[in-house]
Amino acid sequence: MSNLIEINHITKRYEMGDNVVMALQDVSLTIRQGEYLSIMGPSGSGKSTFMNILGCLDTPTTGEYKFRGVDVSHLNDDELSAMRNREIGFVFQNFNLLPKLDAAQNVELPLAYAGVPAAERRERAVRSLERVKLADRMHHRPSELSGGQRQRVAIARALVTNPGILLADEPTGALDSKTGIEIMRLFDELHQEGNTIILITHEQDIANYAIRNVYIKDGAIHYDRLNSQRTIVK
Amino acid sequence: MEYSENIKVALQGLTDHKFRSFLTMLGIIFGVASVIAMLSIGEGAKREAIAKYQDLGVNNIIVREKDMSAAELEEVRTKFSPGLSLRDAEVIRDIVPGVSRIAAQAEVNAEVKYASQSVKSSVIGVTPEFYDILNYQIKEGEFITPIHYDAKHKVCVLGSGIAYALFQKEAPLGKMVKIEDQWLEVVGILENKALFTETVGELAARDLNTDVYVPLSMFLDRFSRGNVLASELQQLTIQVDNSDRLMETSTLIDEIIRRHHFGNEDYGIVIPLELLKQEEKERQIYNFLLGAIAAISLIVGGIGIMNIMLATVMERTREIGIRRAIGARKSDIMGQFVTEAVVISIAGGLIGVVLGVSLSLLVSVFTDVSTYIRLYSVIIAFAFSVIVGVVFGYLPAKNAANLKPVDSIRYE
Ligand SMILES: Nc1ncnc2c1ncn2[C@@H]1O[C@H](COP(=O)(O)OP(=O)(O)OP(=O)(O)O)[C@@H](O)[C@H]1O
Ligand SMILES: [Mg+2]
Repeated sequence: MSNLIEINHITKRYEMGDNVVMALQDVSLTIRQGEYLSIMGPSGSGKSTFMNILGCLDTPTTGEYKFRGVDVSHLNDDELSAMRNREIGFVFQNFNLLPKLDAAQNVELPLAYAGVPAAERRERAVRSLERVKLADRMHHRPSELSGGQRQRVAIARALVTNPGILLADEPTGALDSKTGIEIMRLFDELHQEGNTIILITHEQDIANYAIRNVYIKDGAIHYDRLNSQRTIVK
Repeated sequence: MEYSENIKVALQGLTDHKFRSFLTMLGIIFGVASVIAMLSIGEGAKREAIAKYQDLGVNNIIVREKDMSAAELEEVRTKFSPGLSLRDAEVIRDIVPGVSRIAAQAEVNAEVKYASQSVKSSVIGVTPEFYDILNYQIKEGEFITPIHYDAKHKVCVLGSGIAYALFQKEAPLGKMVKIEDQWLEVVGILENKALFTETVGELAARDLNTDVYVPLSMFLDRFSRGNVLASELQQLTIQVDNSDRLMETSTLIDEIIRRHHFGNEDYGIVIPLELLKQEEKERQIYNFLLGAIAAISLIVGGIGIMNIMLATVMERTREIGIRRAIGARKSDIMGQFVTEAVVISIAGGLIGVVLGVSLSLLVSVFTDVSTYIRLYSVIIAFAFSVIVGVVFGYLPAKNAANLKPVDSIRYE
C-alpha cells in the first residue's frame, strides 16, 4: 500500500517571551493507507501538538509534512482549510457538535463548506448517519442525544466527506466504559472498511485497540511498533 | 460555501436569541426612525412654506401701504406724500421693464348686510387683474370682470366664509347685499382659502375668506373712506415676467414710488419668492442639524451592534473553531459574521422604517407641525442602516475570522 502521510524531521517551537518550549523535536513518521494507529504519551508529551499538525490545524516550525505526496507544511490558511475539509475527519473528546443544529445539519456542515449542493448534502449526511446507526435520530439536537450518540454523530460528520484520515483525539474520554467500547467497535469496523484511523490517547487500554502503537515522550517518538496484544472487539 | 447558507445561519442566530437581537437592533431602530422622522418634518416645513408663498405669487412684488395711525397719516400728508394711488400703478407700468400685470386694490372695513344678517368684513376694491395674478379660485359665478370694472357695476364677489355667514343654505348668486348705503349684486363666490396665519412684511395675518371684492372703479366713486386723508389705494400687486429679475425690478419700483411720495416711507415692499428663498436658507441649517443628529444616532446604533457582535464572537469562539476544523475558510467565517450584522441591521432598519413612518404620521396628526414622508428618505435611512451593519460588523467579523483554529477549538 502507498504512503498516505510522510512526516520528516518536524519540530514545533512555542515561544512565550523568553521562554521557548520545544513541543516536538525531530519527529518522523510514515502512515500508509488503511492503517490503524495510536499515538500515546503522557500529559504534556506533545500529543495535541502533533495531532494539530497532522490535522492541518497548525503547521510545523521546521520539517516536512507530505499528504498524498504533497507538502502541506507551507500551505496558506485557505489551502489548509481545504485540506481539513477534504482529507481530515476530526473526532474530538468533547464531540464539538454545534448545539443549535440537529444531527443531520451537523453532519452536513463539512459538505456545505465544500460547496456541495443542498439536496446532495442531505442525502450524503443521511447515508453517513445510517452508517453509524443513527438515521432515526437525524432531527435531534445534540442536547437531545446521549454521549455515545453524540460521538457517533461526530463520527458521521467526520466520515461524510470521505476523508483520507480519521483523526480521533481521546474519542472515549468523555464516555463511560461500556459506551466507549461501542465507539471502539465502530472504529474497528471503519478500519475494516478501509479507513485510515489515527487514535490519540493517553490510555494504554484505548491504544491497545489499534494495530500500530506510537509512543511520544518529551516531544519525540519513544517507540513505534506493531501491537502484539491487540484488543479485539467482539 | 454558498452565500444563502450564511443568511440561513444568521437568521437562525437571530431567532435563537430574540431578545438579545432586539436589544442589539435598538440603536439602529431609533437611528432609522429618527432619520425618517426628521427628514419628513423638514420636508413638511418646506412644503408648507412653498404653499404659503405660492398663494402670494412667486412672480409677484407686493407694494402695500403701511398701517398708519391718523397722526402718522397726517404727518406724511403734510410732507406731501399723496399715498399709494392709481398713478403709482400707471407710472410703474410705463417705466419699469418686465412688468406683465398690475393689480390695484383699495380697502375699507364695513358691515355687509343681507336680510337680518350682518357681518364685519374687509371690502376690497380690485382691478380685474387681481384674479389672474393672485392664486384665487372661483367656486360659483365669476370674478370682477373688465366689463364690471369699466362700467362701474355695483356687483360684489364674496369669500366663502362670508357667503356662508350671510346666506347659509340660500343660493347667494343674484342676491343683493348692502354695504354702507350701497346695494350690490352678488356675482361670484370664491373657493375656501387657507388662513393667512402669519404677518409677512406689511401683509397682516388674517382670514381671507371674509373678504368682499368689488370693482375698484365703483369702489372709489361710491365708498366713503374711514379717514378723509386715506390714500386712494392700499396695495399694488405687480407681476413680473421673469422671476430672476425680481430684485432689480423691486429696487426700481421702490425708487419710483419713493420719489412720487416725496421720500416718505409710507409703504412696504414684499417679495414672496425672496422670502421663500430666505426661509429655505434658514431651514437648511436647521435641516442639517437635524440630519447630523439623526446620523449620529445611527452611528451610535452601529457601535451598539459592534459591541454586541464583539461579545458574541468571544462567546462563540468554540463554534468558530469547530467550523474552521471541518473546513471553513477565514472568508467563510467573515461572511457569516458580517451577514449576521447586516441581517440585524436590516431587521432593525425595517422596524425603524415602520416606527419612523408612524412617528411622522403621529406628529402631523397630534401637533401642528406638518410632516411629509418622501420615498427617498425611507430609502436613504434604510440603505444607511445596511451600510452601518457592514461597517460595524466588519471588525467583529474580522476578529472571528482571525481566531486561530487550534486555539478556538479548545476554547471553553
Ligand atoms: N500554544 C502553546 N503555547 C505554548 N506552549 C504550548 C502551547 N501548546 C502546547 N504547549 C506546550 O507544548 C508541550 C506539549 O503540549 P501538548 O498540548 O501537545 O501536550 P499533550 O501531550 O497533548 O498533553 P495532554 O495529554 O495533557 O493533553 C507542553 O509543554 C505545553 O505546555
Ligand atoms: Mg492534549
